[in-house]
Amino acid sequence: MTTELNTVHNEELPVVDSLITESSTTQDDVARMCAGLILDGQLAVLQHQLHADFLRIPMSFQLPPNYTGLDASKPWLMYWPLHALEILDPDNQTNDILSRIGPSIMACLNELEGAFGGGNGQTAHLAATYASLNTLAISRDEQLWSQIDRERLYKWLMSVKLPDGGFSMHVGGEEDVRAVYCALASAALLNIITPELMEGTAEWISRCQTYEGGIGGAPGNEAHGGYAFCGLAALCILGNPVEMIPKYLDVDSFVHWLSARQYQPEGGFSGRTNKLVDGCYSWWVGGCWSILEGALAWITSKDVLWSKADLQKYILFCCQSPRGGLRDKPGKSSDFYHSCYVLSGLSEVQHRYSFRPKMRDSKAGEWSFMWTSELESPDIVIIDEQNVVGPLNPVHVLPAGVGERMHDFYAALGTLEL
Amino acid sequence: MPLAYISDYSWEDIVPIPQDDGGENPLAPIAYQDDYKTATGYLRAVMSVEEVSDRALQLTSDLIFMNPAHYSVWAYRARLLFALKKDLEQELIWIEEVGQQFPKNYQIWNHREVIVDKYDNPIRELPFIEVMLELDSKNYHVWSYRQWLVRRFDLWVTELPYTDRMIENDVRNNSAWNHRFFAVFGKGVDISQSVIDDEMDYAKRAILKAPQNESAWNYLLGVLKRGKRPISETEQFCNELAAVTTTERSVDVDIDRIASTRALEVLADIYASRREVEMAAQVWTLLAEKYDPIRENYWKFKKAQTSRGFMATA
Repeated sequence: MTTELNTVHNEELPVVDSLITESSTTQDDVARMCAGLILDGQLAVLQHQLHADFLRIPMSFQLPPNYTGLDASKPWLMYWPLHALEILDPDNQTNDILSRIGPSIMACLNELEGAFGGGNGQTAHLAATYASLNTLAISRDEQLWSQIDRERLYKWLMSVKLPDGGFSMHVGGEEDVRAVYCALASAALLNIITPELMEGTAEWISRCQTYEGGIGGAPGNEAHGGYAFCGLAALCILGNPVEMIPKYLDVDSFVHWLSARQYQPEGGFSGRTNKLVDGCYSWWVGGCWSILEGALAWITSKDVLWSKADLQKYILFCCQSPRGGLRDKPGKSSDFYHSCYVLSGLSEVQHRYSFRPKMRDSKAGEWSFMWTSELESPDIVIIDEQNVVGPLNPVHVLPAGVGERMHDFYAALGTLEL
Repeated sequence: MPLAYISDYSWEDIVPIPQDDGGENPLAPIAYQDDYKTATGYLRAVMSVEEVSDRALQLTSDLIFMNPAHYSVWAYRARLLFALKKDLEQELIWIEEVGQQFPKNYQIWNHREVIVDKYDNPIRELPFIEVMLELDSKNYHVWSYRQWLVRRFDLWVTELPYTDRMIENDVRNNSAWNHRFFAVFGKGVDISQSVIDDEMDYAKRAILKAPQNESAWNYLLGVLKRGKRPISETEQFCNELAAVTTTERSVDVDIDRIASTRALEVLADIYASRREVEMAAQVWTLLAEKYDPIRENYWKFKKAQTSRGFMATA
């Protein structure tokens, strides 16, 4: 079907290098493959039902043996499809599943350590804890929330906090900015953020910004879209983003690097300089845009600094798998991870986020729950009725309102003595 | 329970702990192969009492080959190796096999770091890293590991020639460029201006080979900023690559000769730094309309931001 479209950029760039290297060969192949799928002057339709059917697989069937590689990521195998399903249909088609979340997630709790692992009987892990708590938020089950021993979880978080301000993924595990984000996002949901937990962390994130402007996994490492989101979102939990972002990041160079992530003619984002576009960066890079545009005063409410129409084009033409689910790029299979972050990316294309602090003197741990959204203006991007997906919280990557409700539940219980 | 898992050791005295996925109807259950199911049953049993034994170590080897992403197994394995005082060189050789069989796995790098730190000898490391980067020259975890290694054993001298070689292979390998920046500036000592000159020359030579290569441009500008040099130092270089001629207040680009869009962009920044706002604005308009249109909104934003800033301080 054809709708009047915003300008998208399907043509090749006018200035091209002649030197061929491994990077340029793979880049040319992908650009050609994408260009072949993108139709001029048209919008593709988001295949809601097909994707919903794919996303319900982990709720309806035993996953086949080749999923054993994700046996240490069980909470993610719940969070990815559940979050994606809710974004796909904000009227909540997951009700029949929500009651099964409790036992499935609590089976991943390492009772000795007090936090969640990648599966039953596994070592507590920050990424697993983040995915578990996000999944529990989606359950909207207060009874379940009241079962979490927050004091013990807090102690465990402090046990993976490192003297330089960073966090390690598990006891003896790797230190990176993912760990920082997962720790802070978890603590914010549970309302257990303390000055001790935050000490030195913003400075550590600041050290991860590279000469390119993006954020690497640890100081010295290459700038990368996933880590950029984790670092930026973590700053939005540590304090008022309006103050935190310019204080700890060189915003001009960060924005420059983000801007260079969008490729023509594909329209999608790459995660690093001279790497290929990948649908998952629709969220990791696009989420950074949402946060920056929503939090920074120097961007007036009308400015969008990138091409939302081109990203929507990449998502709809190149990331939908014919067998259902969303994918990295044409030629790849769909999976739950990509479905989650491509659909989250589509949500951020279609919505405008604003940071709206309720009061001046908000407390630590409240800042990430003050985001509002509205549908994006048709001047920026045409959103076909069939393609609409729901809004989310851009810091927690949860359906809008869900994390807020969990945080409020714990806030109402009063302050924990930590 | 199916007894498909076979090892050199006896497990008769162990009561396996079955996996409890949570009730009758759990989410995301996996149909495991029998040997994996049996082996993880033993794993939960021995880990729950933190058994220190050769059979537990063997179990971790077998499980890692079945699921190398099982981080709990790796962490348990490291504890076992130290408690049993195993030969750590043998362990390094074993990790090399695992790495080559599962080149995308990243748990091995944290494990290797833990082992090498204790082993206190980097002798096997650079050759192994070399093999792994041959499989994937942009493997993020391998490059991160290399940085850790260089810091831990003070191996800075090998790094510049190494990045030379990697950049020679693929001048667009951004991981190699990032590593070069680390090799030059990561030690945290004062850098002389002659090193800044050398590195700027190095980047410029690379840019001349492939003028649209963002990696080399980012490096050039990163070095320039680190050396506290004015951006206008690159003006002549950019003029040539962007095929720009300027008259008093206007910028002209020869579309048949322009080789680099980034050179054009840098010129706009140079004009803006000299408050030649009109000229900068012309370049941003050219970028938005002709040379880099997908970033149109960004170029327009730069334009608006600069004229606002100019008005505010004028």
